[in-house]
Order: sequence, then C-alpha cells, then structure tokens
Amino acid sequence: MIAQKSIWRGLMTACLLLTLNFTFAQQTQVTGKVSDSKKEPLPGATVLVKGTSRGTVTDIDGSYAIQAASGDVLVFSFVGFESKEAQVGTLSQLDITLSEGLALNEVVVTALGVERQTKALGYSVQAVDGGQFTEARETNVINSLSGRVAGVQITNSSTGIGGSTRVTIRGESSLNINANQPLFVVDGVPISNNIVGSSGRSNQEADYGNAAGEINPDDVASMTVLKGPAAAALYGSRAANGAILITTKSAKGKKGMGVTINSNITFDETLRMPQWQDKYGQGNNGTFEFRNGAGAGVSDGVDESWGPELDKGFMTTQFDSPRSESGFRGGDLNAPASSTITKTPWVSRPSNIDDFFQTGVTRSNNISIEGSNEKSNIRLSWTNLDQTGIIPNTDLKRNTLAMNGGINVTDKLTVNSTFNYQNTDSGNRPNISYGTESLMYLWIWYGRQVDTRNLRNYWMPGLEGVQQFNYNYNYHDNPYFNVYENTNGQSKGRVFGNVSATYKFTPKLSLMVRSGLDTYNELRDRRRAFSTQRFRRGSYREDNIFFSEQNSDFLLSYSETAKSTWSYSLAVGGNAMRQNNRYLETVAPELLIPNIYNFTNSAVNLQISQANSEKRINSIYGFGQIGYKNVLFLDVTGRNDWSSTLPVNNNSYFYPSATLSAVVSDMVTLPSVISFFKLRGAYAEVGNDTDPYSLANVYNPATAWGSIQAKSESTRLANANLLPERTASMEAGFDARFLNGRLGLDFTYFNNETKNQIIPIELDIATGYASRIINAGRIQNKGIEVMLNGTPVKSASGLTWNFFANFTRTRGKVLELTDELKTYSMTGRNGANIQARVGERMGNIYGAGFARVADPASPYFGQIIHTTTGTPTVDPTLKLQGNYNPDWMLGLQNNVSYKGISLGFLFDYRHGGIIVSRTKTIGSTSGQLEETLYGRENGYDITLPGNGIISEGVIKNADGSFTPNTIKITSRNWHNRYYERNNVEAAKYDATFLKLREVTIGYTIPKKLLTRVPVQDIKISLVGRNLALWTENPHVDPETMAMGGGTLIPGVEDMAIPSTRNIGFNLNIKF
Amino acid sequence: MKLNKTYFSGLAIALMLGVSSCDKDFEKVNTNPNNPEKVSSALLLPNVIRNTTNEIAGNSWGYGNIVMQYTAKIQFTNEDRYNWGPQSSPYSSFYNALRDINNIIEISGTAKQQNYVGVAKVMRAHLFAYMSDAYGEIPYTESLQAKGELNYPKFDTQEVIYAGVLKELEDANALLGTTTEKVDGDILFNGNVTLWKKFANSLRLRILMRLSDRKDPSQAMQAILSNPTQSPIFSAATEQAVLQYLQDVPNQHPLFTTRSGSYDEVRLSIRLEDELKGLNDPRLFAYAQPTTSSAAGVLGAVTAYEGVPNGLGDEEALKYSPSGDATKGGSNFISRVGLLWACSACTTQANPLGYQGILMSYAEVQFILAEARERGFITVGTAEDYYKKGIQASVDYYRARYTVINQPTIAAKLVLDDAYFAQTKVAYTGTTQEKLAKIGTQKWIALFFSGMEAWHDWKRTGYPSIKPGPAAFIPTVPVRFMYPGSVQSLNGENYKAAIGRQGPDALTTRVWWDVK
Repeated sequence: MIAQKSIWRGLMTACLLLTLNFTFAQQTQVTGKVSDSKKEPLPGATVLVKGTSRGTVTDIDGSYAIQAASGDVLVFSFVGFESKEAQVGTLSQLDITLSEGLALNEVVVTALGVERQTKALGYSVQAVDGGQFTEARETNVINSLSGRVAGVQITNSSTGIGGSTRVTIRGESSLNINANQPLFVVDGVPISNNIVGSSGRSNQEADYGNAAGEINPDDVASMTVLKGPAAAALYGSRAANGAILITTKSAKGKKGMGVTINSNITFDETLRMPQWQDKYGQGNNGTFEFRNGAGAGVSDGVDESWGPELDKGFMTTQFDSPRSESGFRGGDLNAPASSTITKTPWVSRPSNIDDFFQTGVTRSNNISIEGSNEKSNIRLSWTNLDQTGIIPNTDLKRNTLAMNGGINVTDKLTVNSTFNYQNTDSGNRPNISYGTESLMYLWIWYGRQVDTRNLRNYWMPGLEGVQQFNYNYNYHDNPYFNVYENTNGQSKGRVFGNVSATYKFTPKLSLMVRSGLDTYNELRDRRRAFSTQRFRRGSYREDNIFFSEQNSDFLLSYSETAKSTWSYSLAVGGNAMRQNNRYLETVAPELLIPNIYNFTNSAVNLQISQANSEKRINSIYGFGQIGYKNVLFLDVTGRNDWSSTLPVNNNSYFYPSATLSAVVSDMVTLPSVISFFKLRGAYAEVGNDTDPYSLANVYNPATAWGSIQAKSESTRLANANLLPERTASMEAGFDARFLNGRLGLDFTYFNNETKNQIIPIELDIATGYASRIINAGRIQNKGIEVMLNGTPVKSASGLTWNFFANFTRTRGKVLELTDELKTYSMTGRNGANIQARVGERMGNIYGAGFARVADPASPYFGQIIHTTTGTPTVDPTLKLQGNYNPDWMLGLQNNVSYKGISLGFLFDYRHGGIIVSRTKTIGSTSGQLEETLYGRENGYDITLPGNGIISEGVIKNADGSFTPNTIKITSRNWHNRYYERNNVEAAKYDATFLKLREVTIGYTIPKKLLTRVPVQDIKISLVGRNLALWTENPHVDPETMAMGGGTLIPGVEDMAIPSTRNIGFNLNIKF
Repeated sequence: MKLNKTYFSGLAIALMLGVSSCDKDFEKVNTNPNNPEKVSSALLLPNVIRNTTNEIAGNSWGYGNIVMQYTAKIQFTNEDRYNWGPQSSPYSSFYNALRDINNIIEISGTAKQQNYVGVAKVMRAHLFAYMSDAYGEIPYTESLQAKGELNYPKFDTQEVIYAGVLKELEDANALLGTTTEKVDGDILFNGNVTLWKKFANSLRLRILMRLSDRKDPSQAMQAILSNPTQSPIFSAATEQAVLQYLQDVPNQHPLFTTRSGSYDEVRLSIRLEDELKGLNDPRLFAYAQPTTSSAAGVLGAVTAYEGVPNGLGDEEALKYSPSGDATKGGSNFISRVGLLWACSACTTQANPLGYQGILMSYAEVQFILAEARERGFITVGTAEDYYKKGIQASVDYYRARYTVINQPTIAAKLVLDDAYFAQTKVAYTGTTQEKLAKIGTQKWIALFFSGMEAWHDWKRTGYPSIKPGPAAFIPTVPVRFMYPGSVQSLNGENYKAAIGRQGPDALTTRVWWDVK
C-alpha cells in the first residue's frame, strides 16, 4: 500500500510539473457566415477550433460566433460538403464558402497503430467513436460495441457486475472454444483479455471478468475493429480472429489547455426475472409443516413448491413463526427443546425474490486535463468507478489513472508515452452456475411462501458466526447469509502502457521503437462461513494471479507520397513478445475458529495449487504499399513468427497478405447520384501457435492422502510434433456513397478457412487419455456484412436525423476434422453438447430429446413415447437441437438532433439460435415457475377437474406396439419427467431477441447562457441501456452464457443472474 | 534510394540474425516448470487407490444399494425406478486410474520392482472385472494405448476379459514378494505385500464363481485352496480389502460431507427391513437408524425401524406411511441409513472414520467358499462352517466399526447367539437349493455397501428375490449398466460392434456370464 501511494504521489507531481508549461493564449471573438457555392446560407454547419472540442453551429442565417485565439485554425464542416479550414488572423470576421462534395480524407488506425486513409484500404474496418462509450456506459466497455459493428457478435454473460463478455468477429474459426476471440490492442500494444477461472475445491465459479473489459471508457478516443486476418495480418498469431484496436485519448494536435469533467450515474434494475407462481407454497402433494427444515416436520425437508395452496386460510408452523420461548423463531433449531412453534398463516409472497434484489447504482466520475503546444502534449485523466450490484453486498470499485503525452524533443525526434494504472476492488462478486453457492440456485428451489425479509437476520441467536438460520436446512444456504458471509473478493492492480520514440531521418524515412507492457497482480479472497452447506466448518481461499506481457517492437518506414502518379511506402519491423503467467491457489479447507479468515486459522493441512508459465514469440515483418494516381492502392504484408510453444523444428512460420483498393468513382465517370464508389479485395494468411507446455506429458499433483503425496499423469496427451495453425481468408467489398454523401452503403463478403488447428480432440477415456492435442480440422466461415448510413433529414432549421444500420450474416462450417474423427465436442453443460461435426454448422448444440416414434409408417410417427405408467421418456441419443449462433444480426442506430438537443437510440436484433435453459428445467421440476400451475389448478387431487396431466403422446406397450396415452398423472410427476435434466429438447428456447440497447437524450446548454462562467460546453444527457427486451423466453434474457473453468459456454443458460436495465444521467462539462 | 536499399537489406540481415541468436534460452522456455515428466510408482499409487475406492463407494450409495433394495429413495426416485440412462461411472474414473496403473507397471517393470508391478496388476484386474460385471463388453486388449496411436480400441468379449483378468491375478500373485522393495503410497494395505497376494487370490475366487455358470471353476478354485502358502486368501476380517478413511478433509468417508438432504433422500428399504426382522438379525441396528417419530435416539426397539418400498413415484415415496395411517406418513416415519454412514450435517454423532470403502470383505470370501463347497467346486472345509463364519464375520465387522465411532450401545447389539444360528431360516439345513438360498440371502445381507457386488451376485444366483416397484420405468430389474453416452461419439464403430454381439445397449441386456 505504501509503495502504491508513493507511486501515485510521484506521478501526480510529475503531471503537475508538465502541466505548468502550458500557457493560455489570448482569446477573441470571431464571427462570420457560412454559405454554399450558390451563396445560400448553411444553417447547422459545424465550426470547431481545430485540436479542441470547442465548437458551435451556425444559426438559421448561417452565422456563427466563436471564441478563438489568433493563430487558431477553425474547421468548418457540414454533411455532404467538403470541410474547410481557415486560420484566425487579425481579422475577427471570417466568411466561408463550402463546396459540395465528400470528405474522403478520413483516417483510421490500422495494425501496429499505423494511420491510414480509409480509401486506400483494401479491407473492411469499422471505427466506433469514444463518445459512444461514455454517455450510456457499460462497466465492461466491450459491451458498448454491441449492435454497432457489422460482423461483430458481443455476448455478455449475465454473471453480475463487470462480468465477462464474449466477442467473436466474423464467426468462429477455431474448434478451441476459447480461441475465437479477437486480440485487443491499446495504442499499438497488445493487452491481455484473459479470463481466469475460479471454480474447484468445492467452490463454484464467480466471474471476475475478462481483462479487456477493464478498459476505462473515459479514456477511449476510438475503437477500431479490424475484422479479418487481412486487417490483422500484421499482428500475427494472436489476431487470427481479428483485432480490436483501442486508441486512448490524447491532447495531440489540440491547442492550449482544456479540462473536462464527466459525471455519470446510472441505476440498474432487473430487466427480466423468471415468472414465479404464487398459488402454492413449499411442500409435497399439498402438505407442509415446519419442524426443523430437514424432514422432521411434514415435507419440511422438501425444497420444492408443490405444497399447500396459499392465501386459503391454511395455518401451519413455519421457519419464521414465533416459538413459545420468546426470542426464538421456528427455524432457530437451538431453541429450548420444550419450545413449540406457533402456527402462522400460509400466505403468498409474490415479490419474495424480487425484493431481495436492490437497485444497483453505478457512479462514474472522470476528470481530465489536457494541454498542448507545438512541442509537447499531455493528457491526464482520473476516473473513479463505484458500482453496487442488484445483488446485495456485491460491488465493484475501480480507479483508473491515465496519462498520454508526447514531446517533440527535436525536429526529428518525437517521444510518446501512454500509461494506465488501474486498481480494481470488489468486496464480493456473485457466484454463478448451478449449486448451493449460487443465489439463482437458491431461488429456483425456494419456498414460494418464504418471506425473504425474515431471513435477513441470518444467525441463530447465540450462535452468531457459527450456525446460519434458514427456511430449509437440508439443501440450502440462507440467501442473505450467502451474499453477506460467503464472499468472493477481488483486489487487482494493473499497469499497461507503452513508451515509443520516433526519429525522422528525413521527411520520408523514420524509425519508431516502442516497448509496451501489460501487467497485473490479482488477489481473490474467498470466505466461507461455518455452517455453509459446502463448507460445514468454513473455508478460506486465496488465488494469486500474476500476468505480464511485454512487447518490444520497432518499425522503420519509408514513404514517397509527393509524386502525383506513383506513391509508395515501405516498412520493416520486428517484435519480441514475452508473456509470464503465475497462478497460486491456497486453501484452508476448514477453519479452526469461525470468522477468522487467515491461513494460520486452518484446522487442517492447507491445499495448494500452483501453475506458472512463460511464452515468447519473436517476429519480423514488413509491409509495403504502392498507390497509383491516388485511385489505386496495392498493399502487401509479410510476417514471420517464432513461437516458443511449438516444437523447435516447426516453430517458425511465415504468412503473407495482399489487398487492393480501387476508387472507381475517381477513375471513370459515374452517374451523378453516385458520389463515391470504391472496390476492394484482400487475401491473407495467418499462422497461430498454441499454449505453453503442449508438447510433453507431465504428472500433475493429485489429492494427497493425509501426509502421503500423490501425482497423476495428465489426462491430455501432449504432442511433440505440432504444426502451427493456419487461417487463410479473403474478402471483397465496396464502399458506395450517394446523393453527396447523404446515403452510404458498404458491403463486404468474406470467406475464411482455418486448417491445422491445434485442438485437444476428445478420446474415449478407455484409451487412457481424455484428449489428445493434434493438428486437425478445416473450418470455413463465410458471410456478408452490410452497413447502411444516411441522413434522411437535414433541414434548414437545424434538424438533423442520421441513421446507421448494420447487418451481419455469418455461417461457419466444419469441412474436415481428421480421417477418423467426424465429431468434435467443443464444450458443453447440462446435457447440451456443443459439437463440431463434419459438414455441419459451427455452434451446433447436440443433446438428448424426447423418445419419439421413429417409424414413419406408424400413425403415431413423431409422437412422444411414454412409459406404461404414462410418463414421457427421454432418448439419450444426442440429436441436433439447434445452434447457438444467431442466423443473422441487425443493429440500428438513430440520431436526431435539433439545435442543442440530441436524441440517440440503438436497437439490437438477433435472429435465430437457441438457448438451453437450466432455469426452465429446474424451475419446472421444483414447481417454481408460473407454468407449473398446469395440472394443479384445483390442488393435487387428480380426480378433480383441472388437476393431473394426460401427457400427449403414446405409450409403448410390452410387445413394442404403441397406443395413445390416456393415463392421468400428477402435475409434479409430469413436470419432473417432462423436464428431465438431460432433456435439452425440453429446455431450449428460441434465442431470437430485439433489445432497445441504448437511448440517449442530450441537451447542450447554449453558449450564450455560458458567457459569464468559465465554461466552454455543458452537456446533460439522460441515458439508458438495455431498456426493453422482446423475446419468447419469459424467464431469462437469452443473451447469456454459462461459464466454467474460465471458459464461456455459449448457448447455455446456467442459472443466469438477471440482466439489468440501466437508466441514468451523464453530465459533461468542458472548461 | 540507394542508401535506403542498403539500409533495408542490412537491417533485414541483422534482424534475422538477431531474432534467432539473441534469444538464447528460447528453446528452454517451453519446459514445464510446474510438473515433472517422470515420477516414482510410490507417488502414483495413492491416487489410483483413493479414486477408484471412492468410485466404488459412490456406486454403492447411488445404485448398488438401491437396485438390491437395501435402501430406497423417498425423494428423486429415478434410480429406484430404473430411470438410469447412460452411466459414465465407473467407466471414466476407472480408465483414468488405469492410465496411472499402467504407468506404475511400466516404471516399476523397468526398475525391477515386482511388488509395485504386482500391486498394480491386482488393481488392474480388479478394475477391469468390476467394469465388465457392470457393462459387459469393454475395451480391454486394445485399451489404454493412446500413446501408441490407438484411438479407437475394440471392445473385447467378456470371455477374453475374464481370462485375461484371471491370468493377471495369477501373475500378480506370483510376482508379489519376489523383490524386496517397500511399497510406499499403498494406502490400502500399508505396503503389506502378503495382503495384496491374499486380495489377488480372493478376487480370483470371486471371479471364478462369477463365471461358474459358464465355466466349471472346480480345478482353478481347488488349486488356490490346496496351496495356502503359494496362493493365500483372506483369513480374517483384519485382512480384508477395505479403505480406512481419514479424520480430515478431503479424505473423510465419502458421505461425511454431503448435504443432509442428500443423505436423507436415501432410507432403509422395506425389503431389507423385512429380511432382517424376519431373521432377528441385529444388523438392523447397524444398517439403519430408528425413525425420528420413534424418538428412540441412536438405538431403538426393533419396532422403531421402518423401511419404505422401492420404486414408488416421488409423491408416494415422500408421503409413504409404514402403518398405512396417512397422518403418520413421511420421512419421520422411515429409518435413515445407519449412523456409521451419516454426514456431518446430519448429526453431531457422525464420524469421518466410521465407514470404510469396501472392495472385498472376508465375509464375502467365506460365502463364496460356502457356495463353492455346496456346489462341489471345492473339497476343502464344510459349507456350513464357511457359511457361519461369513455371517459371524459380517456381524463382527459392524460391531468393530460401531466401537470405532463410539457407539457402544449399538456395538453391544451386534452379537450373534446360538439361537440366531438355530433359527430355521438361518440354520444350514434343507436341500441344496435351500442351502444355496440361505447362503445367497446371508451373502446379500453381508454385502451391504460393497460396491455393486450384491447386484452382480444376484444376477447370477437370483438371491434374494427382488421385484421392481410400482412406478418402475421398466418391468424388470436392470441387469447391466448402459455405456457412457460419450462412447457413442468417441468410439462409435467399436461400440456398435459390441452391442451387435452382446445385444442392445439397454438395462435389460444380460451380460455373458448371466445365463439364467
């Protein structure tokens, strides 16, 4: 802590000293008029002081007024017109004429941080401006890309605040489910996107987030998505699935000093909760009486809601009924044995689960200072995020300090540096998945009559810290006890950034050297109190995670752009990557004394796991571009990697790329409606390596027997002859703009093929091993991406309406596995197996379904087969149940602005796909969900109307013949047999959904109201995220995933924590 | 331009040299710093014994006890209703253990440590026999050879498997004791090589008897018994193959850490209750606890013990009333499984050391011998003597266990007097059929919590009589496990060949030795 403090102090001092060098220039008022070539005034045109965010818009007469200093450059722009710049001289009047046309000098950041003109690119990139991340914000900033970028699928996991997000670009090319995510790069240097699992040793998983999700939205200037290997070829191995380049904000190119304060507060509430029934309480067959919550009463050990009808005057003893001995409740099992429990009314508690959840609050405050002069620039930013979750006692606190600066040391030498320090703290992150540690598990078996408020005082009197108080002692933990006593803490310090120096030998030749680092230390402390179901005598565990990745690179570039016919550029570079991982898990499996969470308080031997790994990749690369008359551009790249993870003979691999871009509209005369038309095409190959230590088998630690230590050979068979993976990809497309840019259409077709994949293929364990690492498989991904943008309204009154739509359709197909292998199981959960089968689509989910009459000649063909007692049966054969990928996705963003008021809203639609729901299966068997009222409309006596269920289908008779089922069975029996846990068919939902992803309503306070305060700009916004959801699934948001051992399992809902709807305010003040 | 060209090519050369030479320890980076590539057999042995014994204990609790109607479920009655589905236990964990068992044989074979090799061979034989008893045909001769690129092992006929297993046990018996190294890591017999020999030969008796309806075991059994020095068998309960669990996590007995609800789902079956009460057998007090409603505490009168029928529907099972009086139904009126097996959350009297993982008991050997003698397979000893020793050993064993867990009142009940043996139902009298029925019944009682041995024995002998419950999914008692679902996708062709020979992959398909 002391070290940390002094680092902070030192840093702050350094920053202040730097800031002092800047001076304020004298400001004057500049006025003028903006008009088009026909001398018509242009209302609503933007006037901006270049390099700052200060600006204004022209009024109805095309007039403007702005504060600027002599020497400042004003930028005038208007949609459909070419921008113009003018320097403020001695005159305070500047009239400008804009000519119609297109601003085609857009620049985007591409691989290795190289800025390129959009029109010269032979592949599709898409940039998202930083403003999209800060107003309506997400704690995991990656979620903000959802619906905004064609070809990109974002799925968040519904695992509580700051939970992990899965990103796939242009489908899934790898059979290794964990290897389908893009590379994240900040300011030219790769950063970690690791997810480190947290289950094992009786602990269930808690989602500690994916590392890239920790990026602070306030510091993001833009995110650029490089979608295919063509775009990412220069990042090498790790960018085979594309790359997301994050450029942090800097003061470069701006003038003077500015201070920005952004303050954001949002309130989070559950978006979709399971629909519970409120007609019957806990128990069996209509009976219940509490004695000890473990079977001593009537059905009081049962944790299902098939009990007596509620609100009918029934009185019984309950866990919260008073005892004759005052001060004790029914569930206080330590009450004097002579005490009796008083009967209390059996009434419904419709909000007993909803009320447990609270309004989550997220506060995010940022202050940034930036300043710049000819020689240097610096931006400093501090952000404080303070979030409390919808689950009580879950939180996340994060402080981010960011610095971005550059100095022109001489005319030839420039030094830049970015630095980010982050401290993430959480007192508790919620447990997820199926089991007593998970809150959603507790609810799915909850007594529907339980008044949750009466569980808040969760210790038995006199046994505080030792014995929890609950409504059921057979299977469950008290939900409040669960969240307040059994915590999953986190404390993480992370530093990432880089230092680079660029030396310009001549204006054409320059050398850049850079070294970047991403390193973090994370401590996870997990406390379990005495009397926890899984830890009767408590437990304490600490996981220490260390990660460090260092990338040192150089780039020597030569460019010749001055010539009018041919232009060319050439660059060579190299990179050395060093990655270190250390993991240490220490567990005190039982505690000596309650409530002391310290390893010296362990009652038994500590259990320890440790895993360290190191990986290196050395690379050299080169790329060149030839341009002809600024209308035709050819790019070629080549890169060679040496990876330490591959066998010495096969550890070197080379891969090339070539792209072509042709600005057709500048080459031939097109109809005037087409303002711009560019054709592009690209081909690239990328190689890939594997995880460390995949070449030789080792003996892993096994559970010790008292003091006798043990080992066991790894169940995964290593392979000493691995080859690098290879992805080949092509894409072709066009970028067309019509009506002077009022309408734009961008189309891309892509086709990727990955082969020689390094995957652990599953073996029948009878071979002695569960899997073998091999090179196998050929996966193809084809698809189209369409982006359409337009400005339907741009009125003289200042009303503007822009829209942006993107459409994605991707199909991944398994072309080949091995000669012998036709099916490859990628992952799975709850009977849902994600399998790659030759000839089939990637993302297919296989699982058991109902046994059905298979003979097409039978009159009962296709009907569900029942036992002779009338219950539906399951056929354990794995059948295709669906695919977790959407068939297609559509994002639609609209922005309407009128004077200072702006309205933006984003719809996100995904069509098709399935989600296999554990909530559905378990909630049906436990009698919790609303639909379990089917067959018990009038109680449990199946001779009464409305009661009992004659399951639809046929009975299989002893002789193999079928007859229609006529046997009435109880509702519970039917629900239990229909929703067998492994029956994926019964558990699946169509995952199609439409979400109102985002709404922002902003108001910029008119300048004239601000003349008396030293403020440039104030914008207030009302923001909302995930405001509405339309989908067939009434119980859970289909946008969810399961998680296990650090693997995100798409297509499976495994007791998902409800997703949230966030509404709040954003205040942005610029000085 | 010229300058630039020179510049670039010079740089490129420097780079190529630099990348490959300056990173000197590049090739060493990929050496795993965490775990060794070589270990000694002593480090492999504990884990294979622990895991496989736990698996066997788990099989007892989950299936063996239920299908043989020692216990019945009052909630989540799937197992009781034969709604079983594919079974990955013991398949997965046993083959997993067999990898390391083969490693022991390889490591110690090279090092000429025949004791380790012998121990590993006994385990290997035991595990293969155990799996084949449950599934029928399994990969055997081609199994465990993924390192030799054998990814799709064929399934062998049981004839081949048991012949191999018997041969291996014979080899193990011969190898054990031929070298002098101490067997470390032996958590089962603490390095006692003689006990491993006894286990090997006792297992041979079990398997020979298992196959007796297919192959006359006389010669092989007689050969074992006629030379006790060369082929010793268990001669006392102190020698039997049971794993003593430890005081501390994670090596407490397998039920100690379960939730009370899970433990309480399983209750005394009315089938066992009736049998024990009918025989005035004191093991009633060991195998079950008095009902809660009897308020008897840890030990009650015979009437305080009540069972529940197997194979009821969930609601019926939960509300079952032994007396027929609906107001006296439910879990309070049904006995739990004995205190020896209780979980720590269930009662303060639970003890982590009480329940041992039983691989093969001395009592079982005595019953095998009794049957063998009665059927004329062997000529040594008398059937009655073996039979009585079997009964006595079983009761003595539980008396000892209840003494260990400080339940002297229960222990005191676990004695047999002459009157017990004099009862018509117990006395070793009657026709051969009647005698075999008595052996079968007593063996069944003694095999409580012994993996799935009682089930396999029942398949062979039909003792005791077991009837499916009213809500059973299939009208007959299952006679085998279905193969794990993964086998279909991972070794499909061989799987199909196996069921082609053996019959459908169903609970009702008989295994090869189950001829009746």
